Amino acid sequence: MSPRANTIQVRRPTAAPAGDTAAPSFTLGRPVAGLTVALREDRAWRSWQLIGDIWAERLRRDGAETVTVETGAQVGRPGSDDRKQIDELARTADAAIVGLGTCGSCTTFTIKDAVAFEQQDRPVVAVVCEEFLVHGQNVARHLGHGDLKILVLPYPLEARPEEELRAIAREYYPRVLELLGVPV
Amino acid sequence: MSLTSERVEIPADPYEQYERARAERWSDGVPLLPATDAVVAAILAASPYPADHALCVLPPCNGVATVELVAINAAMAGVEPAAFPVVLGALEAMSEPEWNAFGLTTTTSSVFPMLIVNGPCRDELEIDYRAGCMGGAAGRGSMTIGRAVSLCLRNIGGQRAGETTKSVFGQPARLGFCIGEWEERSPWDPLSVRRGFSSDQDVVTVHGGKGTFPLADIHNDDPLDLLYLIAKSLAYPLANPFLGNVENGEIVVAFNPMWAERFGKAFPDVEDLQEYLRDNAYQPIELWPATNAQILRDHGRVDANARVHLFDRPDQFVPIVCGGLGSLHAIALPSFGESQLQSKAVIRP
Repeated sequence: MSPRANTIQVRRPTAAPAGDTAAPSFTLGRPVAGLTVALREDRAWRSWQLIGDIWAERLRRDGAETVTVETGAQVGRPGSDDRKQIDELARTADAAIVGLGTCGSCTTFTIKDAVAFEQQDRPVVAVVCEEFLVHGQNVARHLGHGDLKILVLPYPLEARPEEELRAIAREYYPRVLELLGVPV
Repeated sequence: MSLTSERVEIPADPYEQYERARAERWSDGVPLLPATDAVVAAILAASPYPADHALCVLPPCNGVATVELVAINAAMAGVEPAAFPVVLGALEAMSEPEWNAFGLTTTTSSVFPMLIVNGPCRDELEIDYRAGCMGGAAGRGSMTIGRAVSLCLRNIGGQRAGETTKSVFGQPARLGFCIGEWEERSPWDPLSVRRGFSSDQDVVTVHGGKGTFPLADIHNDDPLDLLYLIAKSLAYPLANPFLGNVENGEIVVAFNPMWAERFGKAFPDVEDLQEYLRDNAYQPIELWPATNAQILRDHGRVDANARVHLFDRPDQFVPIVCGGLGSLHAIALPSFGESQLQSKAVIRP
């Protein structure tokens, strides 16, 4: 096809984004009692450590066993050690809560680590702060896991008084269970 | 050569082209050259790979970077065919897992790929390594290779500020950053040789750099005193490595040739200079307020002398030589932290 007058032909420089297919997500369909629930915390975010610890306590109160792993690296030996821990937990835990997406790259790695659980057919909830929700959804979609369950927490969490963080933990705990597929 | 990417009809008028590129969201805001079949074919003829070769997958949207798509973006940036293999090498380096492209393209940080080129191609391709090499020297290679990589991230990887990348400020290098090393004025082996390549190879090294951090001095006669203050300046309290892992990331320190000569006399072996930087790039724990100090203690960052070192190892300090002959300045390219320098040989057909 020849170009019309006053036009030229060029080639489109863009690629289609990946992730049009959505891998399956999973739900428990039962109470957590007797199950092992993994909690992925992040050494960078003290607010999330507190919330995660409160949720772990509540999960234990509800009869679950909990295993908490604290990640903190994306590359190098520490990053490799973190991913090994996540992969091991994804094979052994019954369900997982993975956070925290409250910066760009930590949201990326929260979603990637949550996907590791979903790839082992485990129910999982990724925890992301409001400001990073769209980014988290984009990452999940581009990894082919667009149906990944994401719990949205207020933003920012850092620099809030401890009592506020405890209230947030209490308020959102039922929603975590709901997203994991625990009957209410 | 048959191209498979979509053909698009655009206005012949350059001002209308500019508006069309902006409307299509191909543009970084600066005018682009038209990627006509003839230009793209000429660039592809300089590729060691076929046009349909999937070079890598580029985050954040994980678009597949075929060599043809990379060539189209290189054409728009004005890359001359001979420089195209440098663009390919840079993208291959960025695709190494330890460079952490997924993290770097999505972070809130200002980090962006900064390319450092070694080897004989620097002059032929006009890759700037003398005065104004980080901006202003206007060599075609420097200005187009870096921009081509940037356009690939935008158009193939889908990196768009405020949407798929959370970078709070961005940085000027997001239009492209590509410098050479002034190897002939360095008292040490070129960066590429220190990273395992031979001196006659063209090599591109990609650093996840947060920006250009300027250092200046006119008062120190003793090179050790000057280097001590440089080390102290690199260890600024809000540097990323103090937030994360001490053993990840590198800081590139660009010395002007005059300072390099002075440092070379004091440290003929570059590893000794790196060790000196490592040993002195620290701050006393008392510098940080109580909460931060406790976090650093909890993370095992405080040594027996109550010092917090920027990095764990000497090799995380990466000196290079470039810039003009004004004997007053150095530039540091601070690290994002969670990224490791990657180098690739430039492969020609």
